[in-house]
Amino acid sequence: MSPALVFKVARREYLARVRSRAFVLMTVFVPAFLGLYLLAVPMLGRSSSKDLRIAVLDAGTGLGTSVAERLRAIERPHITVTETSTIEAADPAARAPYNAAIGDRALDGYFLLERADSAPARVRYFAREGGNPVLMRELRLAVQTAAIGRLLAGTGVDSADVRRAQQLDLAVVSVSDRGEREGGFGIALASTMSLAMLLYMAVLINGQGMATAIVEEKSSRLIEVILGAVTATEFMAGKILGVVGSGLTQLGIWMIVAIVALVQAAPALAISSAVSGFDLSAVLNARLLFYFAVFFALGYFLYSVLFAIVAVTCTSTEELGQSMMAAILPMVVALMVAISVISNPATTATRVLSLVPFFTPLVMTARVNVLMPPLWEVWLGILLLVVTSIASGWAAAKIFRYALLMTGKRPTLPELIRVVKA
Amino acid sequence: MTTPALLCRQLIKTFDGTRALDGLDLSVEPGTIFGLLGPNGSGKTTTIRTSLGIYKPDGGSVQLLGSSDPLAVRRQTGYLPEERGLYARMKLHEQLAFLASIRGLSAAESARRASAWLDRVGLGARAESLTRELSKGNQQKVQFAAAVIHDPELVVLDEPFSGLDPINSRLLKDLVLEQRAKGTTVILSTHRMEEVEALCESICLVYHGRAILSGRLRDIKAKYGRNTIAVEHGGGPGVLNQIRGVQACDDGGREVRLRLEPDADPRTVMRAVLDRVDVSSMRLDEPRIEDIYLETVGAAEPRR
Repeated sequence: MSPALVFKVARREYLARVRSRAFVLMTVFVPAFLGLYLLAVPMLGRSSSKDLRIAVLDAGTGLGTSVAERLRAIERPHITVTETSTIEAADPAARAPYNAAIGDRALDGYFLLERADSAPARVRYFAREGGNPVLMRELRLAVQTAAIGRLLAGTGVDSADVRRAQQLDLAVVSVSDRGEREGGFGIALASTMSLAMLLYMAVLINGQGMATAIVEEKSSRLIEVILGAVTATEFMAGKILGVVGSGLTQLGIWMIVAIVALVQAAPALAISSAVSGFDLSAVLNARLLFYFAVFFALGYFLYSVLFAIVAVTCTSTEELGQSMMAAILPMVVALMVAISVISNPATTATRVLSLVPFFTPLVMTARVNVLMPPLWEVWLGILLLVVTSIASGWAAAKIFRYALLMTGKRPTLPELIRVVKA
Repeated sequence: MTTPALLCRQLIKTFDGTRALDGLDLSVEPGTIFGLLGPNGSGKTTTIRTSLGIYKPDGGSVQLLGSSDPLAVRRQTGYLPEERGLYARMKLHEQLAFLASIRGLSAAESARRASAWLDRVGLGARAESLTRELSKGNQQKVQFAAAVIHDPELVVLDEPFSGLDPINSRLLKDLVLEQRAKGTTVILSTHRMEEVEALCESICLVYHGRAILSGRLRDIKAKYGRNTIAVEHGGGPGVLNQIRGVQACDDGGREVRLRLEPDADPRTVMRAVLDRVDVSSMRLDEPRIEDIYLETVGAAEPRR
């Protein structure tokens, strides 16, 4: 294998990727969308806090007035209690006028409080839209506070104190041989998700570009000219290195943009991070960034090789479109595994899964984020990942050499296995 | 006797049980233009790919430029595949320079030759155009340049003239002759018999994966003898068919070509022609490669 030739092929592929419209658009749009998203989340929360008109129907619990009082006390969204009525029975006939009012948009929702045997009351909220988790939390709190208020009546305990006690938060601090670190699930989820998303975008754009190029070279027979000058292995190595280069360029640009944006927009972010309880300093620590970059690079490499393998077996771009799923699937499965890992960072299954190369990039990052695994496990994962990537690249070259001979017909899986073994 | 630039012996290549090459023999003298002929699907492209090491033969042997491993000498060969393909989104100059550089030329030399070749094929002003912006004929010229930019010892051209206008056809013909003048061996696979007639010194006619006719064009023609009478008389074959001694009659449009039976006397036939139609011109001719092609393939056609 001649490094000079690999470099020439890689250089061409790199330039072709980096100059492609998809690359330029994505390099600009991904940070732009992420930025918009970060800005939009607090705004979305705010826009949903429009004033609400809510009725309270009490079917004999006696809690109606106090629930209404609590609802009025909620600051955001501002709630107007349109009426507090006592009804005989909670049957559909009694509810019909209220449902009609919701239908006419004269009412946003209503509470129905019924007697229950095992609880202070059975409470149902009827509304057109019931999905907003922030609102639901407020509503639940209002009902709970009302119920507790009645229990505490006459004991001298203020129900407002109880409410404050209910709002206490649990801060999680991870302890390892490296000391204490605040934050747990949320940060791990956020950084794993962002690694997954960046990986996904980068692999999709660059890997797909390379895959299309390979199919083009095959169908135009340009490949026969090129293989008159370089070996299949040199060609494959060059292709993959070129694509890896373009992916890292993209990541580099994104990281620089992110750092500049964070520094520039720190005050603005401080506001939104206060809302979501997001601590930036926990995300931006050097060790995390290091592993993030390592696993991004290696994961990107392996997944690019998968794209190359899929591409070399295809004879037309239509076929490629149909087969692309095979290359994307491992990444999607890895993400699902990674998310489940975040809640169980130390089980045997997790440790094993994080050493399976196709899962390592995402799962090991999740582990590193939640609970730092022993160093040897991390580096074993990295080693296995490197070995698998190189072996896959080598297999891709062999398959390529073979699939090249086939026009019109695609090689079958048993054929491919035979080729790789040979 | 010099070593052949390409020597194929008893080549066999099978695809899914179908024999694409069935014991093909081929020998190409160095420094000549060699015509590889044959009907569609007869195995020409498979012959080329096997000779260049793109396919591994299932049987037989290939000697390319004196080496039994075609891949070992691939930098000394150039190839223009039948399917036209270049990187569509690459600039012309960059593309040629890339294709030159992977053949082992330095970056500076690659760039210099890319410019020279673009000028040579009349596209110097479009060096910075994307390949896909070019017409098919212009792309084909670039592709030809790509096949020879590294000065190979042997170049294989698969249907280089298809789709070219007369001017570009002419240019390409000159370029092919230029290659030969430099001592390059040229293997030309084509269906255009007039190009074969004008350019090739030797030919090989491939049919069902075998060489059914091969040798120097001159020798082949001599073997067939001057057995053809070309008649221009402003009409079709008509009555000429019935003249004794005429084996076959080929209506070429303006000209009717009569192929004589082996023992027929041309003078008798010519007299008979003069008796029957109003002749504006008539000559005794050697068979054209097209006639030989049609006859040989026709004879090899399995009887039904």
